[in-house]
Amino acid sequence: MLLAVCFTLATSLQLREAKRNNPIQSNNVFKLLLGEGRRLFAHEFYVMADVYFHSGYYPSIFDKQENQPAVMAAVRGESDNDEDTTNVDFFGAPKDWIDTFGWKFRLDQHTHLSNGEEREILPWLQLAADMDPQMVQTYTVAAFWLRTSLHNPKEAEAFLREGLRNNPDNCEILFELGRLYNEDYHDANRARNVWLAALRYWRAQSDDAQKSVENKRLCDAILVDLANLEENAGNWLQAIEYFKMAKPMSPNPDAIQKRIDEARQKLAEQPPAINTPPH
Amino acid sequence: MNTIWALAGVVIKELYRRKDFYVLFVLTAVITIAAGMVHFFNDPQIVNYLKAVCVLLISISALIITIVMAARQLPAERESRTIFPLLAKPVTRAQVILGKFFGCWLASGIALLFFYFFFAVVIGTHEQSWPILNYLQSFWLQWAMLGVVTAMVLLGSVIFTAPSSNVTICFIVIVGILLLGRHLNVVALHHSEPLRGVIYTIYFLIPHLEWFDVRDRLTYNWPLAPWMDCMLATLYAAAYAGLFLLLTWLGFRRKSL
Amino acid sequence: MDAILRTENLCVEYRTHGLRLEITPALKELNLSVRAGEVFGFLGPNGAGKTTTINVLLGFIPPTSGTAYLFGIDVRQPIARQRIGYLPEMTYYYKFLTGEELLRFYAKIFGLPRLEADKRIDEVLKLVELEQARKHFIKTYSKGMQQRVGLAQALINDPDLLILDEPTSGLDPLGRMKVREIIQRLKNEGKTVFFSSHELGEVETVCDRVAIIDQGGLKAVGRVSDLVARHGTNLEKAFLDIIGYQPQSTP
Repeated sequence: MLLAVCFTLATSLQLREAKRNNPIQSNNVFKLLLGEGRRLFAHEFYVMADVYFHSGYYPSIFDKQENQPAVMAAVRGESDNDEDTTNVDFFGAPKDWIDTFGWKFRLDQHTHLSNGEEREILPWLQLAADMDPQMVQTYTVAAFWLRTSLHNPKEAEAFLREGLRNNPDNCEILFELGRLYNEDYHDANRARNVWLAALRYWRAQSDDAQKSVENKRLCDAILVDLANLEENAGNWLQAIEYFKMAKPMSPNPDAIQKRIDEARQKLAEQPPAINTPPH
Repeated sequence: MNTIWALAGVVIKELYRRKDFYVLFVLTAVITIAAGMVHFFNDPQIVNYLKAVCVLLISISALIITIVMAARQLPAERESRTIFPLLAKPVTRAQVILGKFFGCWLASGIALLFFYFFFAVVIGTHEQSWPILNYLQSFWLQWAMLGVVTAMVLLGSVIFTAPSSNVTICFIVIVGILLLGRHLNVVALHHSEPLRGVIYTIYFLIPHLEWFDVRDRLTYNWPLAPWMDCMLATLYAAAYAGLFLLLTWLGFRRKSL
Repeated sequence: MDAILRTENLCVEYRTHGLRLEITPALKELNLSVRAGEVFGFLGPNGAGKTTTINVLLGFIPPTSGTAYLFGIDVRQPIARQRIGYLPEMTYYYKFLTGEELLRFYAKIFGLPRLEADKRIDEVLKLVELEQARKHFIKTYSKGMQQRVGLAQALINDPDLLILDEPTSGLDPLGRMKVREIIQRLKNEGKTVFFSSHELGEVETVCDRVAIIDQGGLKAVGRVSDLVARHGTNLEKAFLDIIGYQPQSTP
């Protein structure tokens, strides 16, 4: 009875405190029940999504971990070459006859889900988002696969908007939303507005936050996509401006410079009346 | 053999007349059906998570049923004094052990069969496919593993006085083997002697029950494991079960009633 | 006549390992012989060694020294128990079985074919008057019913030797009478009955011979009438005299 009373008091006081401090976060029942421990579960569910993406062929904490970041890029859809990552060996050669025989029953091929099978990772991403609504990559990864492989942009948009409700002004989610509008709805204006908003919020971050490698890549991606949008619309000047902004952020500035040169070439070939001033 | 099958029959009757099996089955069914009613992103074709949940529940339930049932056999015979009218018949202690073993193993197999049938029905309605051979292979390997578990727990019931201690210790050992068994050789490499030697000894002595855990193959739709390897694994399980039963007999025949 | 039950210099010692090894002698060179067809009473005060003797005969505990035989076969061989029936003092059976299932289980152990087992089950259930309760679970049986199903399982293989440990323990007078009737019937059929009991009145009524054991040693063996004639006016007085009981003098 004492335990029940303590538990009831703890949850009700927690609820009041959370409502007072942060109205957005207080609605999460998992936060109520598990406290900050839910973030551990969220992380584990996110890893489960990766496990499912690899059809179960996945290293444990005892196996090779050094290749994991590169391989986890695959579940985010960031790998350029699927074959390169599927050649990664997590486990090394068997160490003894027990290991050798055990491999007869274990999953022994590094594969990635494809052809719509990526849907199998979605429940774990949903659960991860439920556990930790501030885990932004669950929204962006799920939306990516929903719209690209599963051709379900509506669900992707709904999930991204849910992510935005839980993480207002988040650049990554806005960026992914912009890609959805551009690539799936072919709504360039909406995509532009969303990407510009993402850029604004990116610039509002602290200097230290802007200096991180991942943040720089995000900014680079936003600017490059904006530039591509302007290129498609024939707004070469604007495109060049965006490429110039992207160049210091890019891991491949030579490629950006090449795009700038190409855009200048196109600009030079255009008649003067078409060139709109950059905004 | 009549005596052994007679004893086994009594154990099987005990399984379906006690409530343990029904409680676990209903729990598994309720959780699985509830999980199956959730549609993530309105996509009814997502099914692997349901398979994972269901086979995990099946594995846990089967382990619970087997361990609790086997741990109860010999102590219950002594406590309830049913061992006396039994051994007053032309029955040896070895036959009692074998009868209990086969009874528990067959009973756990029957329970597992029910669970797998439920799994096949639920997943089949979602996936619209029934890879029967995959289910059979998984069932067979899991049942072979439960044979080792049964023998291990029977041995524990001769060593430990209280069934509760036996259940707890066996659970810890079995779950430890399933989760960590295949990694011990890697762990050993990270230590120096003499600890490395100890870990390696444990690694080579324990029955590698993780071989028989092919849930991932079911969940991720992998093809069948080679049948010859399944046969070898079955022989491995039989050898370990035989060893544990021999040790049980050596302990039981000296034990006072 | 050959003895159906025989012990030769049977010794049993219990060893307890505490701070030092303690040896408690439970049986001291017991020599017993029971002939075919007789009803043999095995008497003694509590802790005399009666249950220990029965445990040795049934193979539950090994003798420290000496031997025991049933039908000329060493009791350590399981086959020695093929033709015996045993009713333990405390009657506990598998509660989740019905009376009929329990008997069928034991019949299977004895290797009785199905048809013969069915016939035998019907006979013994009728004998112990449990026909109405055959399909009921044993956990629903009263103490008396459990004792009777115990007797039924002891008789399932139509044994030539019946070993009964306190067969009337816990029974009401009607139950005790029924047990006496069954023992008498078995005797009439030429069966041998070996039973231990504290109910000296019953022993006096049914037994041909009795043995009295005290502190692990055999004190007397013979016909009831001979013991009574030698030691007292009735079996109780003879028993007390044989075990050397001295009543305390009242002040």
